Amino acid sequence: MITLVKQECFKLLHKSSTYISSATLLLLMTALGFLSKYYPGSWGKPEIQFVQLFAGIYWIPLFMIAACSSIIAMEFQYGTIKELLYRKYYRGQILISKWITMFLYSVYFFSVSLAWSLVIKAVLFNDTFKLSDQYNNQLTIIHANILIIIGSFLVLWMILSLVLLLANVFRSTATAISIGIVGYFGLYIIEGMMIKIMNRWEWLKWNPLNILNLPLQLTEPNADKVTLLSTPEMVGACLGYTIISLVLSYIVFKRRSV
Amino acid sequence: MTTSILDIEHLSKSFGHKQVLKDVSFGVQAGHIIGLVGPNGAGKSTIMKAILGLFNYPEGKIMVDGEVVSPTSHQSMDEVGALIEYPGIYPFLTGYQHLHLFSKKTTSDTQVMDIVRKLRMDAYINRKAKTYSLGMKQKLGIALALVNNPRLVILDEPMNGLDPQSNKDLRNLILSYARSGTTFLISSHILSELEKLIDDIVVIDQGQIVYTQSMVTLESGSKKLLAFKTSDDVKASHILAQHGYQLDKSGGVSVIENGQNQMADMINLLTGNGINIEDVQHVHNDLETILLNLLKDDQVKGSK
Ligand SMILES: Nc1ncnc2c1ncn2[C@@H]1O[C@H](COP(=O)(O)OP(=O)(O)OP(=O)(O)O)[C@@H](O)[C@H]1O
Ligand SMILES: [Mg+2]
Repeated sequence: MITLVKQECFKLLHKSSTYISSATLLLLMTALGFLSKYYPGSWGKPEIQFVQLFAGIYWIPLFMIAACSSIIAMEFQYGTIKELLYRKYYRGQILISKWITMFLYSVYFFSVSLAWSLVIKAVLFNDTFKLSDQYNNQLTIIHANILIIIGSFLVLWMILSLVLLLANVFRSTATAISIGIVGYFGLYIIEGMMIKIMNRWEWLKWNPLNILNLPLQLTEPNADKVTLLSTPEMVGACLGYTIISLVLSYIVFKRRSV
Repeated sequence: MTTSILDIEHLSKSFGHKQVLKDVSFGVQAGHIIGLVGPNGAGKSTIMKAILGLFNYPEGKIMVDGEVVSPTSHQSMDEVGALIEYPGIYPFLTGYQHLHLFSKKTTSDTQVMDIVRKLRMDAYINRKAKTYSLGMKQKLGIALALVNNPRLVILDEPMNGLDPQSNKDLRNLILSYARSGTTFLISSHILSELEKLIDDIVVIDQGQIVYTQSMVTLESGSKKLLAFKTSDDVKASHILAQHGYQLDKSGGVSVIENGQNQMADMINLLTGNGINIEDVQHVHNDLETILLNLLKDDQVKGSK
């Protein structure tokens, strides 16, 4: 199993897209840092941007969706799936090694993004705010930052587990990536409407779109008035959806003919 | 005593309603090179995929090195190398990185470079695979199948896209591996190439094995003919028959060679009787002719 994870990491480290996405992320974060320093009115207060990793929590899902789509779909596109499957390893092991690799990759993205946020903070906003300042009535800035990261990470994996399931169905990397990313934006558009509908049919509060509000709920004490779910309920639902999608994609992958 | 490294018993497989393999059984002796031939869509690649444990099969048994192979039983795959249909290649890796990625811990760098040298891939082995030509990719696929020095190697159309020199290199490589005990199962439509390699042949048509034989038996069983073109074929046939030569019924003036009859004697005999000889040819049934006859017969049988 360790050999398989190493093989997956080897492939990941030799794709130019890996480096391009990391560089793009840092660039986008830096740009937002400058914008919120000079135009805090239109680009948001620096404290808020810092807590959201200078929009890193919104960009990372895009890069991760692309990576998860391609780690599965590319094997079918390049015909390398036979190469992987005939060896002494089992199908399940191959799939799980890919999940582990993607998990490590997402941890890497959040770590880099947090580190870079601290750099931006030190360089551009050294005198503007302190990490120990209050973010709202209950939380300090660093505390809110950590909660947002945890919430985003959980939600990210709920989305990624679905992407990993869908990527099984498509034979081309490009299709899998586009559908993943379009779907991601679609989710946030529908989400707004969902909140309204939820007020009429309460059971709808368990739908996955509502769970996307987890990061918000962790930092805003009154968010449960909107989401209608308590924080533990939300975390539970998030993990539940993740596990269901992963189990489904395991079954699909095992049955798929090559 | 001979040991068999691969045994297939009563294997059947359907895709949907279409039955692709029907009761396929054959065995492969360790160290032999087996040719798997048959028309397009006969089921060659499907048999190879089944041996590699790539799908479930409803009936039958596949044993590699004494162990059952199926999607949930893969242990013996550690000793198997394969190239199926077309090589699976990551465009963003170099050839060397591919070999490195798929080589076992026990495979040394010297072994890897040895294969690269023998297939003459040195010049481009450190270039990214997206810049490779068809034949270069094919060679990389072959190298990947051989790199871990497996005991059983399965090659599906390995000569695909190879130039004459590479074809020869590949042949030498296969023969040298076979001498050191590696078993090969090779499918190919280039029968003239295959003929130079294989010890045994398995012919498959419409999902059924129609013929298995060793090449020695196959070749000794085939007729060698001497075909004459003369100014008067009827008279020529008559005279040759009178003098005890055995004529083939296939038409024209074709004498069956038996190792004793001399071409010079026949020519003298015919010219002595006033017949002009326009052309003489040795006709030797090669694998292609044998195979085509076999498949023709099979279709006749099938249509009855
Ligand atoms: N995944 C699949 N789904 C449905 N039918 C398939 C599938 N794979 C193969 N077949 C069918 O199985 C039959 C045998 O295919 P196979 O690829 O084994 O032929 P082959 O002998 O390798 O032919 P070729 O010489 O063209 O490579 C064909 O009729 C093909 O249509
Ligand atoms: Mg084939």
